[in-house]
Amino acid sequence: MLEIKNIHKSFGPNEILKGVDLKIEKGDVVVILGPSGSGKTTLLRCINFLEKADQGHANFGDIDVNLNTATKKQIHTIRQKTAFVFQNYNLFHNKTALENVTEGLIIGRKIPKAEANEMGKKALDKVGLSEKYDAYPSELSGGQQQRVGIARAVVLNPDIILFDEPTSALDPELVGEVLSVMKNIAKEGTTMLVVTHEMSFAKDVANKVVFMDGGVIVEEGPPKEIFSKPKEERTKQFLHRVLPEDYIFYI
Amino acid sequence: MDFKFLVDTFFVALSGVPIALIITIISLLIALPLGFMLALTRINKIPVLQRFAQVYVSFIRGTPVIVQIFIVYSSVPLLLTSLFEKYHIDKNVYDINPIWYAFIVFSINTTAIMIEIFRSAIGTVSKGQLEAAYSVGLTNVQAFRRIIIPQVLVTALPNICTATVNLIKATSLGYAMSLQEITLRAKVAANVGYNYVEAYLDIFLVYLILCSLVEYVFKRYEKRLSKYKTAHA
Ligand SMILES: Nc1ncnc2c1ncn2[C@@H]1O[C@H](COP(=O)(O)OP(=O)(O)OP(=O)(O)O)[C@@H](O)[C@H]1O
Ligand SMILES: [Mg+2]
Repeated sequence: MLEIKNIHKSFGPNEILKGVDLKIEKGDVVVILGPSGSGKTTLLRCINFLEKADQGHANFGDIDVNLNTATKKQIHTIRQKTAFVFQNYNLFHNKTALENVTEGLIIGRKIPKAEANEMGKKALDKVGLSEKYDAYPSELSGGQQQRVGIARAVVLNPDIILFDEPTSALDPELVGEVLSVMKNIAKEGTTMLVVTHEMSFAKDVANKVVFMDGGVIVEEGPPKEIFSKPKEERTKQFLHRVLPEDYIFYI
Repeated sequence: MDFKFLVDTFFVALSGVPIALIITIISLLIALPLGFMLALTRINKIPVLQRFAQVYVSFIRGTPVIVQIFIVYSSVPLLLTSLFEKYHIDKNVYDINPIWYAFIVFSINTTAIMIEIFRSAIGTVSKGQLEAAYSVGLTNVQAFRRIIIPQVLVTALPNICTATVNLIKATSLGYAMSLQEITLRAKVAANVGYNYVEAYLDIFLVYLILCSLVEYVFKRYEKRLSKYKTAHA
């Protein structure tokens, strides 16, 4: 459903992505793991054209675009098929929770306001924010803001939602509420590409785990395989660092 | 103190208010969008334009308004005369209403101030706001109109208010171009009987009332626009 081929991206002299290929089927939940600076964020940003790749293709089944030379119209089409959940939420400060969620519907998709409001309220209900339609971001906790962020992505009913470390800016006690919302939308069959350091999410929800290091995909496979018998030395070392001593044996 | 003159001249000074306001409004209408766009060229480091904006700002801010008035008021007519001669236009430049020169001077001047105001205000809106707008499918223009500009305006509004009040006060320099604004009208009235103290008091009052009103309107508007900031439960 989404196939990414040979993405390259440099910032100045530093090559951050050195030819990344990735295949995602409809309904997949793919988790990307990897050390800081390995290019995870950059990969997601290139897929959504927030960063312009130097080279590479994205194939969405019905449309194939060159990530370097895409036209404005193609970029717009791809952005309609994808949604992004940001590490620091990036809710529109000047809009209420409901307006945040409906903005893309009313302005981006030209859906009539009444209908968009219905859809927006449903999306906010789904993430447990029925009481907060009219709250501004400054009135919401981090966990609530991120749930609005997820509702804003879900409501667009995109082919795929890209998550860039959606819980890493949150206080530990708020991580759970966001992860459970993500679990729910995964259950509904939403296709998700998730960068996270939450190993429990990777283990319990993902059907594919991708390990990235130094701008390339080192290893990928079902979570069971990656966690219990990683093949590559770099994967082993990384997992050893981020997982408790004997965690691997209990999976 | 001649009270009758004081009261009469108050209304004479007051009759100059529309001129001061028209100059202020026209200058703002030109300076706000132009200043915003030039501020963007500086922030996005657009090669030639950002350099131009930089030089422009330092020229305007480094010279007194009255000198800018003298320069425009003396050079533009010369320029026009030669233009009229070249294209055989039968029009006397000295018939031109000085308000046109005021529009030019004050627009040029206010634009420079707006560039600086917007430059710092745009800097306070994070890049993430624009990226989030793109990610939900907004175009560049839509993102600016609906997300960026409203937030920039809220931050910039107190400074825009100050600039507007300063602009109103600066229109009093229009008397140097024989512009029939507040100051000149009252002064002319005083010339007859040498009642300068009364006339200056009237001028003082008119500017005070006008500027206070403008400030009040801005404060109200600011409160309404920024409700998302102060809405904290
Ligand atoms: N706009 C940019 N300009 C220059 N360098 C950048 C830019 N964005 C990212 N980089 C560099 O690219 C490298 C990879 O960054 P990226 O954010 O993709 O890593 P990451 O895997 O997401 O790391 P983390 O786990 O810390 O979020 C880093 O070394 C970073 O400094
Ligand atoms: Mg990152």
